[in-house]
Amino acid sequence: MKTVLEARDLSVERSGKRVLDGVSFSVTEGEVFALLGGNGAGKSTTLLTFLGFLPPVSGLVQVNGKAPAEDIAAARRAIAYLPEAATLYGHLTARENLRYFLSLARMRPQAEPIEAALDQVSLQPDARGRQLSSYSKGMRQKVAIALALLREAPILLLDEPTSGLDPVAIDEFHGLIRLLAGAGRSVLMVTHDVYGACQVAGRIGLLRHGQMVGSFTAPAGGRIETEAVHAAFAGRVPA
Amino acid sequence: MKRPSSLLREAWLLSRDRAAIFWLALALALSVFSVASGVEEVRYQRGELAKLIELDEADRNAELARQSDWGGAAYYAFHLTYDPPSDLSFAALGQRESAAWKHRIRMLSLEGQIHEADAPNPELALAGRIDFSFVAAYLAPLLVIFLLYDLRSGERAAGRMELLTATAGRAESPWRMRAAMRIGALAGCVLLPLGIGGSVMGAPVAGLLLMSMAVVLHVLVWWALVALADRLSVASTTQLSILVGGWLLLAVLVPATGRILVERAIPVPSGAEILLAQREAVNAAWDLPKEQTMIPFIERHPEWAEHSQIDAGFDWKWYYAFQQVGDQSAEDISAAYTRGRLKRDEAARLSAWLSPPAFLERYLQSLAGTDVRSVIAYEQSVRDFHAELRSFYYARLFPGQDFRIAEAAGLPEYSPAR
Repeated sequence: MKTVLEARDLSVERSGKRVLDGVSFSVTEGEVFALLGGNGAGKSTTLLTFLGFLPPVSGLVQVNGKAPAEDIAAARRAIAYLPEAATLYGHLTARENLRYFLSLARMRPQAEPIEAALDQVSLQPDARGRQLSSYSKGMRQKVAIALALLREAPILLLDEPTSGLDPVAIDEFHGLIRLLAGAGRSVLMVTHDVYGACQVAGRIGLLRHGQMVGSFTAPAGGRIETEAVHAAFAGRVPA
Repeated sequence: MKRPSSLLREAWLLSRDRAAIFWLALALALSVFSVASGVEEVRYQRGELAKLIELDEADRNAELARQSDWGGAAYYAFHLTYDPPSDLSFAALGQRESAAWKHRIRMLSLEGQIHEADAPNPELALAGRIDFSFVAAYLAPLLVIFLLYDLRSGERAAGRMELLTATAGRAESPWRMRAAMRIGALAGCVLLPLGIGGSVMGAPVAGLLLMSMAVVLHVLVWWALVALADRLSVASTTQLSILVGGWLLLAVLVPATGRILVERAIPVPSGAEILLAQREAVNAAWDLPKEQTMIPFIERHPEWAEHSQIDAGFDWKWYYAFQQVGDQSAEDISAAYTRGRLKRDEAARLSAWLSPPAFLERYLQSLAGTDVRSVIAYEQSVRDFHAELRSFYYARLFPGQDFRIAEAAGLPEYSPAR
């Protein structure tokens, strides 16, 4: 399997403080990799480094075999990014937001795929023409997920993607991620939701204070055991 | 293909931004108001001049018809002098708000007549009119600030910065296009009424283009300042405070301080001082022996020395001689007044390099011919014309020629420089 994302002995600093310290992992084509960690563990920093927003102080970071800084446009074209608590434009409707961002990504926004993506994230049809300022947090998150889907990028970087979603929507989202991975798209999601990570990820990396302290791999045809990950996450057992 | 689509995309986004639309509508309304007010003022001035020009000759001819000697003709015949507004002055009224642009002069001492002129509503002139130059120089920068200050910082605060940048693919996109779209829309809103006003007034295209280019450059300077402030990566409200503070500094404090420093460094006598000096000399002449008045006059006009004998009673030669001596006694102070104004103007020109709004305002006024130099040039044209009048009348008064109405048709006529 081709490696699409790779961090090797990666260290990153923000405002003079080391946030990632010697982190190594890789994501292959069609794989869902979850980075699990508490607040301040360095999860979002990892995503921003892949996107070329933060340069590594040491080590290596690669998207499709190239450092993002080498060809920032190519790296970002290959990635659909869903930031944590993504705030799209409140004065635009869901459809308008999607049209704007797709056009920004130099895609031709068509009505049909937009409606299909909004169907996939189960956003009620009557809400799609309303301004996002009238949406709940979960509804806004659904629109942002729809945007990530519409980008048709081979790699998805998802930052706390289920934040604000209700349990039904979370289950639907997990199904969607599995579907995308099955279609060959690679997903790197960072989360502190142990249960969610175990539901979708083929592998899980445990991040603590900027260091990778453990990893879990799903058995063939099965899922990673939630209890084991939870125990390691909580520090009850060594990861 | 990329550029038009990103242009349309950002134009569409701008059309959905109510705050931006409000600022652009305000820019359009201010520009329309300022241009309309300038056009109305110039039309008023042109109308006044047309009426006065028509009345001037008729009034003078009526007075001349009643006269029996050249002294009386010179005393009663008034001549209109005027500085007509240029075709661009609707955009920058400048000194025309406070300085006199028309006079009715006659053969008496001139300096008093120049500085005695009426200034229409001095309180209004003090406050200044909201003309196009004021809108472009002082208000447009504020609108640039309001349109651009949170373009990036607002996105940072909303948590959209990384999403937008990552989606766009490049580091700078879509900021430049977004800012350029707003700046272009603002320039359009400010300049469209100028173009319409210019075509209504028959203004020269080259002048309008120069004005437009200057306004665009000015707006670009403020865009650069906003971009500079954006590099501080502070919150939107902090950035707004910094930029409004910068506007206050460059548009209010620097010009005001510059004016105070220039006025202190370059003392200029007032028009009233000139008037007083000239009046005192003229009034004193009535109590002096006539010969004493004629001495300084003949020093200036030796060509009339042979004809300088004065009758014992009232003599027009003596009367006009002491009027001229009155001007001669105010000559130094009048020259100092003109020199001082020019020096102050030069100092103000230099200090305007520190204030883009003051610089633009001065440039627009110079294009419109409403600056200090234009006022001084007009005053000089009045002095030149008055000198022609004196030559005409002296050539008839001193040799003691009889008054002939037909000869009065050869009186010099004032023709404005533009």
